[in-house]
Amino acid sequence: MKGHLGADPAEFIARVRAALGRSRTEPAPPPPAVDETIARLARPSDDLVALFEKRATLVGMKVRRIKSADLTREVLAVLESVSARRVVVGVGSLPQALGLKESIRRKGIEVVDWQAAPGLDTQYDTDAGITDVHAALAETGTMICNSDAGHSRGLSLIPPVHIPLVRASDILPDMLDYWARIKGKRGRELPSSMAFITGPSKTADIEGVLITGVHGPGAVHVMLVEDA
Amino acid sequence: MNPASLPKSPPPEPKDVHVLPGPTDGSAFTGAAMGQGNITEIHDTNPLDVTLPYHMQPRVEKATHDAQLQQFVNSATLSKDRARKRICLEAFGDNYNRMRELGGRIKQHTLDHLDYYLEQFVTNAAAAGAKVHFAETTDEANGICLDIARKCGAKLCVKSKSMVTEEMHLLPKLESIGVETVETDLGEFILQLDKDAPSHIVQPMIHKDRAATARAFTRELHVEYTEDPGKLCQIARNLLRNKYRQADMGICGGNFLIADTGTVVICTNEGNGRLCTSAPRVLVAFVGIEKLVPSLEHLGVLLKLLARSATGQPLTVYNHFMTGPRRPDEHDGPEEMHIILVDNGRVKTLKEETREMLRCIRCGACLNTCPVYRKIGGHAYGSVYSGPIGAILTPMLKGLGNYPDLPHASSLCGACYEACPVKINIPKFLIQLRRDQIKQKITRWPDRLIYRVWAATLRNSLTYRLGGWMQKWMFRLQARGNGSLGRAGSDPYASRGWLSDAPGPVKSWTRERDMPTPPARSFRQWWDEHEKDKKSKEA
Repeated sequence: MKGHLGADPAEFIARVRAALGRSRTEPAPPPPAVDETIARLARPSDDLVALFEKRATLVGMKVRRIKSADLTREVLAVLESVSARRVVVGVGSLPQALGLKESIRRKGIEVVDWQAAPGLDTQYDTDAGITDVHAALAETGTMICNSDAGHSRGLSLIPPVHIPLVRASDILPDMLDYWARIKGKRGRELPSSMAFITGPSKTADIEGVLITGVHGPGAVHVMLVEDA
Repeated sequence: MNPASLPKSPPPEPKDVHVLPGPTDGSAFTGAAMGQGNITEIHDTNPLDVTLPYHMQPRVEKATHDAQLQQFVNSATLSKDRARKRICLEAFGDNYNRMRELGGRIKQHTLDHLDYYLEQFVTNAAAAGAKVHFAETTDEANGICLDIARKCGAKLCVKSKSMVTEEMHLLPKLESIGVETVETDLGEFILQLDKDAPSHIVQPMIHKDRAATARAFTRELHVEYTEDPGKLCQIARNLLRNKYRQADMGICGGNFLIADTGTVVICTNEGNGRLCTSAPRVLVAFVGIEKLVPSLEHLGVLLKLLARSATGQPLTVYNHFMTGPRRPDEHDGPEEMHIILVDNGRVKTLKEETREMLRCIRCGACLNTCPVYRKIGGHAYGSVYSGPIGAILTPMLKGLGNYPDLPHASSLCGACYEACPVKINIPKFLIQLRRDQIKQKITRWPDRLIYRVWAATLRNSLTYRLGGWMQKWMFRLQARGNGSLGRAGSDPYASRGWLSDAPGPVKSWTRERDMPTPPARSFRQWWDEHEKDKKSKEA
């Protein structure tokens, strides 16, 4: 390998090989199978919307079950409740969210153009981040937010309030189902950042007292769009 | 249990206060007030920078006489231990043991073929644009990091929690070439202010209280004194946000490496890990080579176990998967990603007899469940890894002769083995290390002599009985001499006396606690009578 620092990779791996009692590297036999009867914690036959709502609520997120026609109104209600003045939006091509930016602007709330400047700098002084999700997991109430041209790493992380839009069709039963969906993708085909988000930012470092919002958002208001 | 069924009760979320960002109000806080603490002040040297060989006795004695430390550690570990058991049973039910076994088999398989998976990881990470470096020693790892820092002209570095960097005292090295480096995990940030060191793998400042935090903030950050955890968090948040914004280099650890995608995975609750790895232009991840797993699917099994075992959460709040630097169409993320794969004693631990120890996923469950850790706290172990896993891992990574006491810092009760999500047989390794100490003559000769006599006594029925009889009467006589025999009440132990000042080799045992004297009738006597009774009834 070119451009490495420190120990020589071939020599390093040779020492590993020697410690394992082998003189040359052989392909590993198939790894242990992930037995679904043990590892699966949610099934396609479950009521996924209800399960997602329940689990997301348990980890401290606020979930609103809504119809797509009410999306704009509900998002504006949350923005108003947190007195938002500047927001960042990254919703890709989500049809339900088209027009959302315009409605927010009409309320007198600034929509920051984070794509105009590289880096996260424009996002630190915002009050809320609105995103869609790549997928959601009913098993744990988790949302998967990936980075790409339309999605910043910062939108679900830097503003004090995160408003994810989760469509019922985004919800997968179990983490196992997400791995099945992206199976076979090599590293370069994955985004540089995938974030599995299960709750607002939390710490219990000071005497075990739970505090939310220590570095990431202190509140997550999930818009769970049932008819999409 | 149907794995898909809903839990009957909510996952164990500590009943505390959610403080939203923004100015916090003291009245919103209702946590238990125990802010009268006075246990820790600023340290001159890192508490884990110990002289070798390390003897734990002085720190153990100090800890066992520190009521406040014991209260903190005990209550924090007990509540996490209960949370672990509750949520694991809720999620996995009767499959809990099979799930642990599967987790253990996945890690063991990867370690058994680590040469193959390392090669695969390097190829895939490089294909995704990351630069992979190998470091045999901590000096080599630090050197690589300093080279990267110099090349990119770093001035300010933000760092998230990483146990492997704790092994190598990286921060002073970075500071020495003029790179200001800030720990951003709240616990680590507070420890950095006090020049203190973590005492728990997952809850680094388990030994400190809010008052110590308040003093550190007032002294180092010149803010108004407050003991309100919400306000303290707010102060840290505001300060650290500016650091993320200005930093040109970010450092993180790695909970897992995925061989077939070249991905580094970090699991954090606070979000500081995502910020450290997303905001700065250059990212450096330090990861021990034992962190590999074959694929995302296998990672999933370990993620399902990790947070449940560590803190009783279903998943860590943020599981961040990083595969190479930012893509051409992405607007943010690091431009350079470096991964430093660290040996530092791991390769020699890979030999067959000790390989299983490297399965550890650093959940801290064994610490939380260990009766010894709860009594003595993490710093008594004199190393980054404390508790039962530290007692076996530290001697392997840093030399058995350097940490002769650690394999004995256990009652061998086996609770750690029960709690371990990847089924590391810790008690077995503790005994193996004790045996190795005798073989390598690390144990002093009088101790070896005692073991020999003991072993000979136990091998023969007559000497066993004689020994038991002598021990019983010596202890009872000694207890009578203490004037403690028949110390009152209906407690069967108390009525037969306590030994509070034993002679000879038992002396150090009774220095910290009393020993109940043996009962008048031994088990063997009882058994003989029981058998006699049975025979007479049958006859």
